[in-house]
Amino acid sequence: MTALEKDVVTEPGPAVEPRGRLAALAPYATALRAAGGLLTVIGAYLPWATFVLNEGPYPEKATLEFFTAPFGVSGFRLHLLVFGIVALVLAFVRTLPSRGRILRALGWGIVAVTVANGLYLTVLGGGFGAITAADGAVAFGAIVALIGGALVLVGAFAGGLGEQLRWGRPLGRYAEWAILLVVFTLLLLLVAAVLTSGGQGSVANPYSGAVFLSFLGAVGGLLAALHAAGVLTWVTAMSERHRAFSAIVLLVVALALPLTGAGTQYWMTVAANIGVYAATAIGLNIVVGLAGLLDLGYVAFLGIGAVVAANFSGATAARFDIVLPFPLVMVISAVVAGIFGAIVGSPTLRVRGDYLAIVTLAFGEIFVRSSQNNIGGLTGGSNAIPGIPPVSAFGQAFNEKLTVGSVELPAGALYYFLIVVIVAAVMAVFGNLKNSRLGRAWIAIREDEDAARAMGIRTGPVKILAFMIGATLAGLAGAFFAHKTGTVSYESFRFLESVTLLAAVILGGMGTIPGAVLGASILFVLPEKLREFSDYRLLIFGIALVLIMRFRPQGLVPDSHRRAELAPEAEPPPPDPGTGTATGKVAVQ
Amino acid sequence: MLSTLLSQIVNGLVTGALIGLIALGYTMVYGIIQLINFAHGEIFMIGSYGGLAMFTYLLPTAIQNQWYFALPLLLIAGAAVSVGVAVLMERFAYRPLRNAPRLAPLITALGVSVALQEAVRVFYPGATAALPFPKAFVEGTWEIPVPGGTVPLRWTGLLIIVVALVLTFALNTFVNNSRMGRAMRATSQDRDVARLMGIDPDRVIVLTFVLGAALAGVAGVLNGVDLGFTNIDLGFQNGIFAFTAAVLGGIGSIKGAVAGGFAIGLVKALGGQYLPGGTAYDYVWIFVVLIAVLVFRPQGFFGETERVRA
Repeated sequence: MTALEKDVVTEPGPAVEPRGRLAALAPYATALRAAGGLLTVIGAYLPWATFVLNEGPYPEKATLEFFTAPFGVSGFRLHLLVFGIVALVLAFVRTLPSRGRILRALGWGIVAVTVANGLYLTVLGGGFGAITAADGAVAFGAIVALIGGALVLVGAFAGGLGEQLRWGRPLGRYAEWAILLVVFTLLLLLVAAVLTSGGQGSVANPYSGAVFLSFLGAVGGLLAALHAAGVLTWVTAMSERHRAFSAIVLLVVALALPLTGAGTQYWMTVAANIGVYAATAIGLNIVVGLAGLLDLGYVAFLGIGAVVAANFSGATAARFDIVLPFPLVMVISAVVAGIFGAIVGSPTLRVRGDYLAIVTLAFGEIFVRSSQNNIGGLTGGSNAIPGIPPVSAFGQAFNEKLTVGSVELPAGALYYFLIVVIVAAVMAVFGNLKNSRLGRAWIAIREDEDAARAMGIRTGPVKILAFMIGATLAGLAGAFFAHKTGTVSYESFRFLESVTLLAAVILGGMGTIPGAVLGASILFVLPEKLREFSDYRLLIFGIALVLIMRFRPQGLVPDSHRRAELAPEAEPPPPDPGTGTATGKVAVQ
Repeated sequence: MLSTLLSQIVNGLVTGALIGLIALGYTMVYGIIQLINFAHGEIFMIGSYGGLAMFTYLLPTAIQNQWYFALPLLLIAGAAVSVGVAVLMERFAYRPLRNAPRLAPLITALGVSVALQEAVRVFYPGATAALPFPKAFVEGTWEIPVPGGTVPLRWTGLLIIVVALVLTFALNTFVNNSRMGRAMRATSQDRDVARLMGIDPDRVIVLTFVLGAALAGVAGVLNGVDLGFTNIDLGFQNGIFAFTAAVLGGIGSIKGAVAGGFAIGLVKALGGQYLPGGTAYDYVWIFVVLIAVLVFRPQGFFGETERVRA
C-alpha cells in the first residue's frame, strides 16, 4: 500500500507544465478530485439552457422548460454523469497506480463535452444568458460541469499522474480470441455510434453538430481513460499476437457496418467516401510515410484513375466507345496511374527534399490545368464527364437496395462493401510492403539516403517504385470513385485535395495504417458533420495543420519505428519500450 | 507579326517584373532559413487587399482620384499589412519550428497559406468573389510605334517595371553595403557562426521576412492597379510562379530572382502566343520549365553549386 503511494508521488509523469505549480496542492488532491467528480454529477442533473433557443429546445431535455432530471438523464448529460461518478469513485480508490492518468483523461473528457455544449448554447442563445440566468430562471449546468471538469484535472495533476497501468501475461489462445471478438464488435458499435451521432444535420435537426462534437469529446475521454488504464495497450498487444485472426475479424466487422444503426443510404455514402480517401491516403503513406518523399500532387493519380475509368464506362462524354467490365477497368486505371507515378517519380533521381515536393506540385498542377482544358478530349474539361453508370454485377446495380433473405441492405451498401474490400487489399499491400525488403529500403532512404546508398540500396529504382506503387493504389481508388460518384471533374483533384490527403496522413501518423485511416476519417467526417462551420472549414483546417506540426508532429497514431523524421529532437523515448505495442511488433518481425 | 512578338515581349516583361518582386521574398527567406515559404504568395495577395481597404475605408474621397496622393498611400498600406501578417506568421508559425526537421516547416507553410487565403475570404467584406480594384493610376496605354504597327504598353505596366527595377536595386544595395545586409549574408552562410559574431539571428530573420513582405505588398497593390481587380486565389498562382522564378534565377540570389521573374514572364507570354494550346496552357509551360530547371539545373542561373539537401 505504502509502496504504491510512494510510487504515485515520486514517479514523474510526462512533462506537463503546470504540474510544478500545482504540486503545492498535492495534499488536497483527493478532495479536489472528489469535488470535481461531485460537481460534474451535479452539473449533469442541472438544466443547461435557461430558455428555448430559436432553433428549438436543446437536446437531451437540457432546457429548463422541458427539463426531466432527476428522472431521466440521457445523451451528453448521461456521459457527464458517468464520468463524474467514475471520477468520484477513483478519487477514493488508492490501490490503482494509474488513477491520476485516468482522472486526467476523464477531466479532459468532461471539459470537452461541457465546452462543446456550452459554446453551442452560448453562441446560439446569443450570450451567456443562455447558460446562466434569464428572466428569473437559472441554468448553471454548463458552468458547474466545467468547474467540475477543471477540478478533476487540477486534482489529477496535483496528486501526480502515476504510471500507465500494464496488464498481465498473455492468456490462452481461445480466451484472447474471445476477448478480441468482443473488443472488435464493441469497436464496430462505437464507430457506428460516432458516425451516426447527432444524425444528419438539417432544419429539423439543428443541433446535430453539437451532439456530434459532444459525443466525440465523450468518446475521446473514454478512449484516453482506457489507454491510461492500459486496456488499449493490452488489446493492441493481443491483436499483434493474433494478426491473422484480428485482420479477419476486423474485415468481417467492417463489412457488418450496414447492419448497425449506420445502415442507411446516407451513412453508407459517407462511409464509402471515407473509404476512397482512406485507400488513397494509405497509398500516399507509402510515398510520404515510408519513403519520406513529400508528394504535393498526389491526388492527380486519383484523378488519372477516375478519368481512365470514366472513359471506359460507356458514359456519353467518354472518349472511347468501349465499355469494359469494372474489374478490368480497375486494373487498367491502376496500371495507367502507376505509369504516371513512375513518370512523376523519375525526377527523384536528381531532386531531393523540398525541391521534390515542388516538382510533384508542378505535376499535380499540370494535371489540373490539362484536364481543365479537356486535353485530348479525355477529361471533359469544365463540363466534366457526367453520367458514368454505376457498377453492376449479376444484374444488380451497386447503387440500389439489395434484399438477401430477410436482411435488407440499404442503397449504397454494395459500394460500401466494395470499398471495404479495396481498402483491405490496399492495407494488405501496405502492411506486407512495409515489412518487406523493399519497405526496409524505403525506411532506410527516409532516414538517410546517402547511408542507404552506402548500404547497397539502389535508391533510384526504389524511390521510383514508391511513387509507382502509391500511384497504382490511388488509381485503383480512382476507378471506384468515378463509378460511385457518377461524375468525374477536374474540380475534385485540385491542389487543396492533395494537401487534405497529406494532412490526413500526417494527422493520423505517418507510416501507419490505422493512422492513415483515422486521419482520412476525421478529415472527411468532420466537414460532413459540422456543416454549420462549412464557411470556416478551410480556415480551421489551415490553422489545425499549423498546430499539429507544432504540438504533435508525429500524429495521433505514431509509428513506433519512426522518430527521426518528425518528432522534435528532445522528444523522450516512448513511455514503455519494453511492453505493449513495441514488443508485439518486435515479436512479429 | 513583329508587333505581335514585341507586344508579347512587353506583356512578358510586365508580368515578369511583378513575379520578380514576389520572388525576392522567396529567395531571401530560402537563402536564410532554407524554408519554401508557401505562404509568401498569400502575403502578396493580402497586400493587395490591404491597399484596397485603404482606398475603400480610409482615403477621403477628395484624394481618391488624385493618383499622386492615392497611389503612394495604397502602396504603403499594402506593404504595411503584408509586413504585419508576415511578422505574425514568422513569430507564431515558423519560429517555434526553427530546429524541427525539414518536413515540419514546409507543411506548416502550406497550412499558413490555406489559413491566410481563407481568413481573407471569410473576413474581408465581399472577398468571396473578385473585387474591383481602383485604377488609382493614370489609365491608358503608350502606343510605341514599331515597323508594321504599334506595341501597346499600359502606363501601369510601365510603372510595375520601373518600381520593380528600382526596388531590386535598392534591396541589392542594402544587402551588399549596409551593416544589417552584411548580417543577413552572414546569417545565411552560417547561423551559428553569425551568432558568435554578435548577430542576433532572430532579428535578421524577422528583417528578412519584413523586407520580402514589403516587396510582396507593393507588388500586390501594383498588380491590383494594373488588373483592375483582385482575388484571393491570385496569391497561390503568382506565388508558385515566383517560386519558379526564384529557383530559375538561383535561389538565394537577388538579381537571379528578378532575372528569373522576367524569364517566367516571357515564357508565359510567348508560350501562350506561340506554343500549342495557346493561353489555356501557358501555366502548363511554366510548370514544365519549373520541373526542367529543378531536375537539370537546380542551382539556377546565378545560384551556388548544388548543396546536398536532405
